[in-house]
Amino acid sequence: MPTCCFKSSFICAALLLSLVVTQAGLAADVPAADRPIHEVIDHFVDGRIERLNVESAKQADDLTFVRRVTLDLAGRIPTTAEVRGYVDSSDGEKKDSTIDRLLASPDFAYHQRNELDAVLMLGMGTTNEWRQYLLEAVRENRPWKQMFREMMLGREDDPTHKTALSFLKVRAGSVDDMTNDSSRIFFGVAINCAKCHDHPLVLDWQQDHYFGFTSFFSRTYLTKKGTLAEKHGGEVKFKTTEGKEKQAKFMFLTGATIEEPPVERSADQRKKDDAEVKLQMKDEKAPAPKAPTFSPRSEFVKLAMADSDAPFLARSIINRTWARLMGQGLVHPLDQMHSENPPSHPKLLDWLTRDLLSHNYDLRRLVRGIVLSNAYARSSRWEGEGEPPLAELFAVAIVRPLTPEQYALSLHVATSNPENFPLDVSSEDWAKRRESMENGARGFASKIERPSEHFLVSVDEALLFSNNEQIERDFLRDSGDRLIGSLKTIENRQQMIETAFWAVNSRPPAAEEAAAMDAYLSARKERADEALKQLVWSMITGPELRFNY
Amino acid sequence: MPKNNQNFCGSPEHGVSRRGFLGAATAASAATFAADMTVLDALKNPVLAGELKKQQKHVIVLWLAGGASQLETWDPKPGRPTGGPFRPIQTSVSGIEISELLPKMAARMGDTAIIRSLNTRIGDHGGGSRLMSLGRRPDPVVNLPEMGAVVARELGRADSQVPDFVTFYSSTEGRGNAVGMPGFLGARYAPMFLTENSVPNNLRAQKTITEVDHQDRAALRQLLAQRFSRGRNSGIVASHNSAYQRVRGLMASEKLFDVAQEPAAVRATYGPTQFGEQCLIARRLIEAGVPFVKVGRAWWDSHGQNFETHQELCADLDHSMATLLDDLKQRGLLENTLVLTMAEFGRTPNINGSLGRDHFANAWSVSLSGCGIKGGSVYGKTDENGNTVADGQIDAPDLFATIYKALGIDHEKHYQIGARPIPLVDFGAKVVKEVLA
Amino acid sequence: MTSDPSKLKKTKEWSTSNILFSMERVAGTSRLFFGSSDFKMYEIDMAAEKPEPVAFNGEGHQSYVTGVGLAADSIVSGSYDGRLIWWNAEKKEQTRAVDAHAKWIRGVFVAPDKQTVVSIADDMVAKVWDAQSGELKHTLVDHKPMTPHHYPSMLYGATFSPDGKLLATADKVGHIVIWETDSGKKVTELEAPGMYTWDPKQRRHSIGGIRSVAFSPDGKLLAAGGIGKIGNIDHLGGPSRVEVFDWKAGKRLHTLEDNKLKGLVEQICFHESGKWFLAAGGDHGGFVSFYETASGKAIKQEKAPMHVHEFAFDESYETLYTVGHGKIAVWELREKEDGPVEAPVPA
Repeated sequence: MPTCCFKSSFICAALLLSLVVTQAGLAADVPAADRPIHEVIDHFVDGRIERLNVESAKQADDLTFVRRVTLDLAGRIPTTAEVRGYVDSSDGEKKDSTIDRLLASPDFAYHQRNELDAVLMLGMGTTNEWRQYLLEAVRENRPWKQMFREMMLGREDDPTHKTALSFLKVRAGSVDDMTNDSSRIFFGVAINCAKCHDHPLVLDWQQDHYFGFTSFFSRTYLTKKGTLAEKHGGEVKFKTTEGKEKQAKFMFLTGATIEEPPVERSADQRKKDDAEVKLQMKDEKAPAPKAPTFSPRSEFVKLAMADSDAPFLARSIINRTWARLMGQGLVHPLDQMHSENPPSHPKLLDWLTRDLLSHNYDLRRLVRGIVLSNAYARSSRWEGEGEPPLAELFAVAIVRPLTPEQYALSLHVATSNPENFPLDVSSEDWAKRRESMENGARGFASKIERPSEHFLVSVDEALLFSNNEQIERDFLRDSGDRLIGSLKTIENRQQMIETAFWAVNSRPPAAEEAAAMDAYLSARKERADEALKQLVWSMITGPELRFNY
Repeated sequence: MPKNNQNFCGSPEHGVSRRGFLGAATAASAATFAADMTVLDALKNPVLAGELKKQQKHVIVLWLAGGASQLETWDPKPGRPTGGPFRPIQTSVSGIEISELLPKMAARMGDTAIIRSLNTRIGDHGGGSRLMSLGRRPDPVVNLPEMGAVVARELGRADSQVPDFVTFYSSTEGRGNAVGMPGFLGARYAPMFLTENSVPNNLRAQKTITEVDHQDRAALRQLLAQRFSRGRNSGIVASHNSAYQRVRGLMASEKLFDVAQEPAAVRATYGPTQFGEQCLIARRLIEAGVPFVKVGRAWWDSHGQNFETHQELCADLDHSMATLLDDLKQRGLLENTLVLTMAEFGRTPNINGSLGRDHFANAWSVSLSGCGIKGGSVYGKTDENGNTVADGQIDAPDLFATIYKALGIDHEKHYQIGARPIPLVDFGAKVVKEVLA
Repeated sequence: MTSDPSKLKKTKEWSTSNILFSMERVAGTSRLFFGSSDFKMYEIDMAAEKPEPVAFNGEGHQSYVTGVGLAADSIVSGSYDGRLIWWNAEKKEQTRAVDAHAKWIRGVFVAPDKQTVVSIADDMVAKVWDAQSGELKHTLVDHKPMTPHHYPSMLYGATFSPDGKLLATADKVGHIVIWETDSGKKVTELEAPGMYTWDPKQRRHSIGGIRSVAFSPDGKLLAAGGIGKIGNIDHLGGPSRVEVFDWKAGKRLHTLEDNKLKGLVEQICFHESGKWFLAAGGDHGGFVSFYETASGKAIKQEKAPMHVHEFAFDESYETLYTVGHGKIAVWELREKEDGPVEAPVPA
């Protein structure tokens, strides 16, 4: 067990306490380790709902469910054939088999890849190689722990792992960026406040932790050739708020520290090493850096993966995955996982953590478990009396805005000729089509704001859709492969309206909706083509397409 | 009474408020106004201009993002170890001295009040921005609205043809902290947020669609969207609808953002900087009836080279603000426009090794000019080195109470969120009467 | 010569709560005159066991004393108050005060013959004065008052050539002018825009500038010191930077950037042989960095205990006096007397 300095005893105690309390007095309440994930989720979520005596929404209907789960697993709305296929099926197992089909489809890998890319790269410096690395990792269902290790320690001489280092490479210009982003993204801890002073509210994070964390990255640098390397030595010093100068120890978030074995480096050797580093940073032709005998980043990875202690890595990825699918994390906000901000369902998070650890950080398994739960499948419409229950109870599904990629892909699917998407496309063919859709969608996706913590749709988006020529070009063309092209071939007005509605909204139109659309078209007989475009526009700009409900 | 109000019943009060096309979905009434919608230039329409000028109040916040130094602006400490190298100068009001870096403002102290005794305690950019936007610490349950949203709601018109809350934030640093927070007032009161360009994009309809169809298409969208909201009353869902409902009104206000509409001589007085130009646009906007404009000038966070940075940024602030006040005054707008300089906090009296100053919220300054303000007044004192407030300590709620009072808004008024009353400012906030006219 | 930068060792430190911007050393002694952020001029004897600063008398300055020059029989100081003050060095009394500049004075430099003094300020002019009479001889106008981005500029650095016939001035945007001291005529100009960082996108202001200039002893080279490109301009988070020019040919020989020693190069001084030079400065901390002139290679680099604003060598270049943020530090650059004789820096 790594040494804990006295300042971290608070954190260790808090986490140990939560485990002890869980195990001891309330042993009966904790589901066994071999229960299916979705049952455990419902056990805890329903349990809290019942204890608080709160109403919950009913389960979403088939139309809603198949759309939601397709968006969440495939990253796009379902095709008309997929929706109707699901709704019309009388198979009792259709939910499970659809989920498994989606998880096995090529779409899942692309969507999971896009979600991870957004989290890891925050929009900066994402390249084709990097996206390909993530795609392959997701296809293999590579354990998250392994991906973390690759991103931290990937070797430059291994073509796959070399790309994984992009995570650090785009941040290598600033030790602070490497520190803060690694901490936030992998561990759910926004530690940057602790740089200038001990965190005013959260006792867990002090300057020692910030600079301790920084120390692991302080020797990392980028050569002119673009390889990531580590220096042979170097200390991090900082000034406390009292103005005292301190040298930082290598310290992880748990408070565990690492001592560097004392190294005999003569002044000359030090100078030589420094000169080599300088040369590598300046000259592309400089000889390749040699790995140092002591690598702070390797030690960091060891500490981060010492699961038994305080499984930050596991808890954070579980929290993020939960937030993505359920609309809000068990700990909220996602980068405030500390003792002053407890989870809404602490025992559930603990159980899911133990489960993830004992199944080698299998993310696909976790996703599957969540989407199989009743909690996930609730309706997002609150039909009860008074105010809806608090979001953190997960008693009503949270309406989530589509990500830029989901929206762009869904707009593409919605405005394609439905006959382009029969049900019997082979997996290889679909993979190719999906790849091409991904590339096509990237341009439009860049125009849509990525949802953040307090996201609201801005008027800029409405102006884009209302007035920008790209909308007509991308979504309202009338060639044969497009929706409008296919609508023009349908004689019967009612049928045409229904086809359009299924394609965009994944459901049949209600009577008054169809009537309004019919009236709109009738009033514009002499400019029927324009009217049709406007009709489709009025659907693709609707909230139904915009949100995952 | 101008002659061109023949379309209305004739009474001036109804002349403007009948233009309820925003939000109303019927194609018929919209069509009547569709023809003049896009050529509508609020500034040129005498009825509108007259109505707008009468009694309507506005706010322009010059948001000194990153935290400007009070010691290099409103509260110099000459001769003290913390004072820095710049000296104070006499202003046009005897007994008041400010930094020599603001000479033009010094000549115009007659319209400006300074509060030197702000102690807001929050020293990080995100927390400080939030505090100085909301006027209070965030509530764990209720999503509070920022000043711009409150002012847009209280002073704006429900049927406004112009945006009612505009924010300029062209730099990337700290932009996330300036993102609008309409809170429970809803997305309707979120700001039009301008970043790369000072003119919003996509304000003109494609030539391939007629005016009427553009409107009717939107109305159909609205109709089809109605089912969705039943039982789904989250802010984010409402924001989607709200965004589309505002499109027509915003399209009509495009010209307001175009500085080329101003005579070259006027543009020249504001100078060549981006901040100066945005101040000019702010004047155009409030002149057209926009109640709240925030001009974000990033980035004052001078942890190193504080004096060099303030030499540049204070020159920009001094010139732009002085020109803006002159311009507002000349147009008779200053008495109804409140111009504020604010930031998330001030800067440390202590000077570090890079000749920088760090974050400091224990004793810092804001300025207030124009509407409802007693020009030439100073409230509050800091100690001789500027480390603590010596007299007249106030916090953000008190400042906001003062601001709302200056605007004629009842700061003790409540909004109702379910069963819970939410006053505009925290209970117990005290108005600083000394700076009010 | 026994002066050897590779033997650099700090021998003494003296702390103060003030920032010391400028200094001169009295020839043949360890006595320093320095200008302080407390607006005063001081003398201090660094040879003393416990050095005690002695303040000058008189009305003095009304802001930071940023320039100190030791002329023929007086000390000339310059300040952010725009004034130059002449002092009697012995009596430490003010003898003359001149409202020299419309804006903040950045430095005061004395010609080698001690008969001429130049002051530079943010009014972007350099003024050449008779050191004895205080008469204004020339006003050198060339540096632009505004940066290309429409903000007021700053004039940070100046130096005389070893024979005093030339004068170089350097500003915020990287513009260097070389003048004829006697006539005040412009001889030539050089550009070092790498010293100026303008950030249009993130923070929308500038930082940096050439802070120091120095001629080589043979007069052929001009070194300029400042800071390289900075990403986050809230801090001096950029590499210290020196550019060495063959100024007559208008050619840049070296661009020396050091990411380990971040911050401004506040002063540069060549060894009398011309074979090496010292660049010193800092950010939150400080550094002293010795470079070989011909190759541009670093000979010796050390962290200083404070951001160094100015320094001076003794006649033998074996002792170095540095002043800066809150401290004076004295260093030796030679082998100890009783140690083995080390080979000096290779030619």
